[in-house]
Amino acid sequence: MRRLLSLVLLLGTLPLAAQQNPYFVTYDHHMEELGNLEISSQSTVGFQKQNLGNYLGQLMELEYGVTGWWSSSLYLEGATARNDATVFTGFRLENRFKPLKGEHKINPVLYFEYENINEASRIRKEIVGHAETTSEKLSELRGETARELEAKLILSSNVKNWNIAENFIVEKNLTEDEGYEFGYALGVFRPLTTLATGGECRFCRENFAAGLELYGGLGSTEQFGFKETAHYLAPGIVWNVGNSAIKISPAFGLTSGSDRMLLKIGYTYEISGFGQKLAHMFGGR
Amino acid sequence: MHKLSIVLLMLAAFAFAQNAPTQKQDKWEAPADAAAKKNPLQSKPELAAGGKKVFDRLCKVCHDSGSVQQKGPHLDSPDVQANSDGALFWKISSGNSRSGMPNFSSLPDGQRWQLVLYIRSLAHKQ
Repeated sequence: MRRLLSLVLLLGTLPLAAQQNPYFVTYDHHMEELGNLEISSQSTVGFQKQNLGNYLGQLMELEYGVTGWWSSSLYLEGATARNDATVFTGFRLENRFKPLKGEHKINPVLYFEYENINEASRIRKEIVGHAETTSEKLSELRGETARELEAKLILSSNVKNWNIAENFIVEKNLTEDEGYEFGYALGVFRPLTTLATGGECRFCRENFAAGLELYGGLGSTEQFGFKETAHYLAPGIVWNVGNSAIKISPAFGLTSGSDRMLLKIGYTYEISGFGQKLAHMFGGR
Repeated sequence: MHKLSIVLLMLAAFAFAQNAPTQKQDKWEAPADAAAKKNPLQSKPELAAGGKKVFDRLCKVCHDSGSVQQKGPHLDSPDVQANSDGALFWKISSGNSRSGMPNFSSLPDGQRWQLVLYIRSLAHKQ
């Protein structure tokens, strides 16, 4: 109990920092800092076409900087639909590795994720394969579990205060033979100003960054290409304030297979030096 | 499928081949061209106040002697101050993932130069 209380106090007293980008789907090359814990919540509201009901996907992420070149995350997710149900849709384990030291013109990061989710998942964390529209209820879909492996090649560059990132995605369903599914995500963003003011301020431009994402599916090994795939164009903005960041991005469906719109809203809280302090609390150094 | 695998492998190989390490692995030193860069904000020392704010937010946790988690060097130490402005800017930008120093290339150039201004001002205070 005392240790739990210490942990709560620790969360409230640590020096904190957050420097988030406005991306929701695209990854850049910036890793979680060594020993930091990032707690994120992300919501996706989907506005579907053809009078299909809207839905809400909810995601909770715990990301930890294992080393300077390795970040590891656990995701828990759920979904809600009106006149239907609220269901737990599964978990994901994600690891990102930055193989090269330092900053380069193009910075590669390797991403591996294990997913144990069911067909009711609505978070749209990434878009792969072919478009899927279904009128089936979440309460029915929750029984159809899929275990999947996903890999991404992340390429990212910082050029004159702009970040440019490209992600190439491949996913394999281990439960059913659907071949390999492919997807992509592209993003650019820039802070609204390049200099920091001397005084404390919450709403000044230095705390904001804006960007644009384009993401979608590229079919599968059974049918590669753009046919019957979903694609989205998504402007986004992030507000970094102290230890927290809030971001929002409306994603507009570009193809007949896409939802009309996805509205993504995220909140992040970063705890610096969490691992070190936690180790100290349990007798480590 | 084979063609796609080859394309993906080629993209990966391309990225790796383009990114031959530009720094020595044994010692963390800025390349000569980066170290030779001048601080474009040199003539505006008043901007160091913005650098202090960025330092307090992102760097203090590791570089401040009052921090229980201090793991980086004091920035007013002779070793740090011996770096040129360009070298400091390069180290802030590149980080050193093997030692745990994050890379702050996500910060705008201007704010990284403001940090360099602030680090220099620490030496003057001694």
